[in-house]
Amino acid sequence: MQCSKCGNPKVIYKREQSGQLLCQDCFIESIEKKVIKTVKKEKLLDKGDKVLVALSGGKDSVTTLEILNSFRQMHIIDICAVTVDEGIANYRQEGVDIAIRHAERLGIEHKVVSLKEDYGITLDEIMQRENHRGSCTYCGVFRRTIINKAAREMGATKIATGHNLDDEVQAIMMNYLEGNTDNLTKLGAKSESKAEEFTVKIKPLREIPEREIGLYVVAKGLEVHFDSCPYAMQSFRGEVSEAINQLAEKHPTLKFSTLRGYDKIKNILKNEMQKEYAHIRCRRCGEPSANELCKACSFLEELGL
Amino acid sequence: MSFLLKYKQLEEKREIPNENYTIRDLLVEMELSPQTVVSKQNGELVIEDTVIQEDDEIQLVQIIYGG
Repeated sequence: MQCSKCGNPKVIYKREQSGQLLCQDCFIESIEKKVIKTVKKEKLLDKGDKVLVALSGGKDSVTTLEILNSFRQMHIIDICAVTVDEGIANYRQEGVDIAIRHAERLGIEHKVVSLKEDYGITLDEIMQRENHRGSCTYCGVFRRTIINKAAREMGATKIATGHNLDDEVQAIMMNYLEGNTDNLTKLGAKSESKAEEFTVKIKPLREIPEREIGLYVVAKGLEVHFDSCPYAMQSFRGEVSEAINQLAEKHPTLKFSTLRGYDKIKNILKNEMQKEYAHIRCRRCGEPSANELCKACSFLEELGL
Repeated sequence: MSFLLKYKQLEEKREIPNENYTIRDLLVEMELSPQTVVSKQNGELVIEDTVIQEDDEIQLVQIIYGG
C-alpha cells in the first residue's frame, strides 16, 4: 500500500469516494489545494479584502483561519477574527483560550465578545428561564448578530465561517424535506444581503468533508477544541445527518453529488423563489431588520432584558 | 500479546485477540464509527486497516461529536 500521489508507504487516509490513498504530506496538501480551488472558483476573495474569521477554536474555524492565512501571507487579504463567548460553563472557555492562542500565533487582530457583556445574560442563564425557545435558537441568532456587528466595527469586507461539506448537505436536505424554499435560496458558497450593513459571508470549506477537516487538524498538529456542546441534543439536523451518513457508507460520493446538484439549480431557485424583504432598522438596536424589532431584540424583550 | 489503548481519559492494556487484528476491528469492538475518530499507531497517523502489533500504542482521537 502506498500514497497514490508520491508513493510514500506511510498512508494515513483512504478517500472512500475515489479510492485514493494519501500520505500525511499529500493529504494536507490536497485539503489546502481544494480550499484554494473553492475560493478561486466561487470568487470568495477579492484583493484587499479584510476577512473576519468567526473563530470558535473548533476544527472547522481553525482550519478556515489556517488556510485563509496563506492568502494573507501572500498579501492578498488581511485577516481578523472574532470569538463569541456564549457563556456555557465547562465548555466554551477552552475554545476561547485556543482561539486567543491561534490569533496570537498568527499575529492577527482578534476580539472575544461575550453574550453577558453585550446582552447582560449568558446562555446558561437563558436556559434556566421557563418557557425558553431552546438553546440553539438563541445561540444562532445572538451569535449571528454579534459577528455582523464585529465585522462592521473591525472594518471587515467579508465574514468567513467554517461550514463544511456535511453542514451544507445537511442544510440542503433539511430545507428540502421541510419544504423551506426560502431558506434553500440562501445557501451556497457566498451569501450576500441587499442590506449594506450585512457583510458578505463566505464558506471556504464547503467542499471538504467534516472527517477530512478533523484529520487535517490532527495531521497538522493544530490545537483545536474537540468537544461536544452540552446543549447539543437530538435535533432534526441530527436526524438528517444520521440518515445521510448511513447512506454515504454505501454511496461514498453521495454528499458531493448532493452539493453539486444543489449548485446546479441554485440560480434557478434564487430567480424563481427568492423573497424580497423590506430592510428597515430595528427600533431598539438600529441593526438592519425585516421587522420593527430584529430577531435578537425580540428575544431580549421576551426575556425581559 | 497486548497493546496499549489510549482514548480520551482511558489508558489501558488490552490483549490482541487474534492475528491480523486491525484498528477497524478494535473500533467495532468499542462501538466507535471510523467516521468519527482518527487513529494513531505509536504516535503516527494510520488508516483503520492497520494491523495492531505487540506493544503498540494505539491512540484514538475523536474528531466528530454529535449535535
